[in-house]
Amino acid sequence: MTERIEGVVLTLICTLVLASYGRAQKINGGGNTNVPGQLPSIHLVSPEPDGQWTLPAGDYANTRYSPLNQINTQNVKNLKMVGSMSTGIARGHEGQPLVVNGTMYVITPFPNNLIALDLSKPGFPMKWKYEPHPDPRSQGVACCDVVNRGASYADGKIVYATLDNHIVAVDANTGKEVWRTLVGDIHIGETTTGAPLIVRNIVITGDAGGELGVRGKVVGLDLKTGKEIWRAYSTGPDKDVLIGPDFKPFYPKDQGKDLGVTTWPPDGWKLGGGTVWGWISYDPETDLIFYGTGNPGVWNPDMRPGDNKWGITIFARKPETGEAKWAFQVVPHDAWDYDEIMENIAVDMDWHGKMRKLLIHPGRSGFVFVLDRETGELLSAEKFQPVNWAKAYDLKTGMPEVDPAKVTHTGVIAREVCPSSTGGKEFVPSALSPRTGLLYIPAHNTCMDHEGIDANYIAGTPYLGSSTTMYPGPGGYQGELVAWDVANAKQVWGVKDPDLPVYSGVLATGGDVVFYGTMEGWFRALDAHTGAILWQMKLGSGIVGDPITFKGPDGQQYVAVYSGVGGWMGAAAQPSISLADPYAALGITGAMKKIKQLTAPGGTLYVFGL
Amino acid sequence: MIRRIHMEIALLATCALLLCSGCTQQPVQAAAEGGLPGVKIPVGPIPGPQMEFKMPTNPYEENSVAMEEGRRLFVWYNCYGCHGGHAGGGMGPSLRGPVWIYGGDPAHVFASIAEGRGKGMPSWGTKIPQDQIWKLVAYIETLGTPQEPDAPHVAPDPQVKEKK
Repeated sequence: MTERIEGVVLTLICTLVLASYGRAQKINGGGNTNVPGQLPSIHLVSPEPDGQWTLPAGDYANTRYSPLNQINTQNVKNLKMVGSMSTGIARGHEGQPLVVNGTMYVITPFPNNLIALDLSKPGFPMKWKYEPHPDPRSQGVACCDVVNRGASYADGKIVYATLDNHIVAVDANTGKEVWRTLVGDIHIGETTTGAPLIVRNIVITGDAGGELGVRGKVVGLDLKTGKEIWRAYSTGPDKDVLIGPDFKPFYPKDQGKDLGVTTWPPDGWKLGGGTVWGWISYDPETDLIFYGTGNPGVWNPDMRPGDNKWGITIFARKPETGEAKWAFQVVPHDAWDYDEIMENIAVDMDWHGKMRKLLIHPGRSGFVFVLDRETGELLSAEKFQPVNWAKAYDLKTGMPEVDPAKVTHTGVIAREVCPSSTGGKEFVPSALSPRTGLLYIPAHNTCMDHEGIDANYIAGTPYLGSSTTMYPGPGGYQGELVAWDVANAKQVWGVKDPDLPVYSGVLATGGDVVFYGTMEGWFRALDAHTGAILWQMKLGSGIVGDPITFKGPDGQQYVAVYSGVGGWMGAAAQPSISLADPYAALGITGAMKKIKQLTAPGGTLYVFGL
Repeated sequence: MIRRIHMEIALLATCALLLCSGCTQQPVQAAAEGGLPGVKIPVGPIPGPQMEFKMPTNPYEENSVAMEEGRRLFVWYNCYGCHGGHAGGGMGPSLRGPVWIYGGDPAHVFASIAEGRGKGMPSWGTKIPQDQIWKLVAYIETLGTPQEPDAPHVAPDPQVKEKK
């Protein structure tokens, strides 16, 4: 024991010494990226998880980095399963549990039960279960499996969304409902699947339903009462989008009055999509929240001439009022369903010799975007998977250089478009380690044939106008865990999966271990510097959830993850989807030919320790 | 006399038959009047062999023009958005069989479309004319058979082909 403490102290001292050494050595272009024993110049802007996991990404900035280092590259090979629990629901288990005060909180897919587990007792017995009983009809308007991406904790409450658009706050001790607020309507195709983020007294949450002509929005609720304080739509007039005098977008393309109306055919914005079903991040230093919006509706681009703002846009807003500070439309006039609702990671980093306030967005469109999070200026956009819809981004205008041959029109099939609608990555979140300077991206390599067809709006049904089929991209693989050097905008290493996309979140730790899962069900620990697989274990079902790490009441470090294949691509494992139709499930079945052979539906929480 | 008795027996038998047919037929009509157009199944106890009532059949069975029209309607009414481009499933289940949650014969498929189902299938009985629902049923019954209109082709992956 004494030896162990001494070891920890020594490691700490070494780390500190090396950290200061690393900083002193700092010169240009993020030179210390991925140098073992040296730390790159990165400043984390939000507190790191302190052994608990109280927010969806562990921290406000969405790094998914935990400084815990009991489990490290030397001993991770001894990792053992120490607990497991079936949720009894064989659907996609996206998102992650929370850990607060020695209790783990598991949120299930529909019917969105909240289960509290006592981490102080062997086997982690259940303390209580809260059942919100969402409307079963909500399952019929959920585009991509009946998933949920987790909760946030603050002020003694666990706050999360049900599929039928209720935001619920549950007493973390008793499991009793404190309040519930309805923020959307399933009858027009709206669902809520994303994890809310709590900033001070405000619960911030988006919606889903971009495939059903839903008008996307984000709302801010009072944490004490659940009362709605603000609502910011993604389309429509400036007053609805909460664009006011403080709105200062960087690029002329995003400047002007009521662009949420004027970039659409008449009334098109009312069914305009731009839903917000991904991750919301927050930077305490600039006091801004960041999130991206989804595809503009309808999918067929010919039916909505114009830029279709604010579909596929990254917004920066004030958390208390929702007022927009800046916006950057990533993809104007989308023709590919490239929702950019992915994580926006806020860090300060050495950027070409100068510390800058960055927002890092690994995108569905296949580019890693790096923005200045104070202004919305695009600093870099580089491809991390095969991409052919655009050649590059012009950093002066913020516009992509689109290949017209890869744009579909009514009755015209755009062939071999890469990436497919499912993207170079999906919503599954990356992790950024301040110890390596690397961004660990769960990536896909899938392409598609995409045809626009006439669409007919019927409330509560899909509003698509598209016929799509997907297939594996070039290079003989479909998934890859990519280690990305942010400062130098290039891939350092990758771990490829031949048959299935990587569809799980990633966790980086102070022990220089990177955890993620494959859709086949392998839960893996990689060396954060080299990508070597140090440990892996095959779990009961494919992994589409996000690993977390925490310190148990016994002082030991643990790692937890859901196993339960599902989500848009993973739902192909369900018996209700036939692989005989390569156009099924919005076209993903063509790319998922082996899934039923490689895994099967399930729903289990696994906990690992040394 | 004997003849008269015979006649009486015959008359009674006829009455009994009429009454019995009333037992089954009446509720069917009553339900159809008050509910959505289409298939109704009698409610309440029906004794003995009289339970074998006749299920409605699709007026467009084996009608290839109606199957084609059903395919068009399947896209037009956004069925393809939930059930997949060629009905292989997605938000809603695959209709390509062999599993039918609520029954796969034409009358049950009609009922699922007209009345909706609890997990999110909308009820279309008041939105789509009965005639068009039967055409949708005619299309759905062809899935995976040689009669299927606009059948999906499971082609080898284009990229894989390129490499050879």
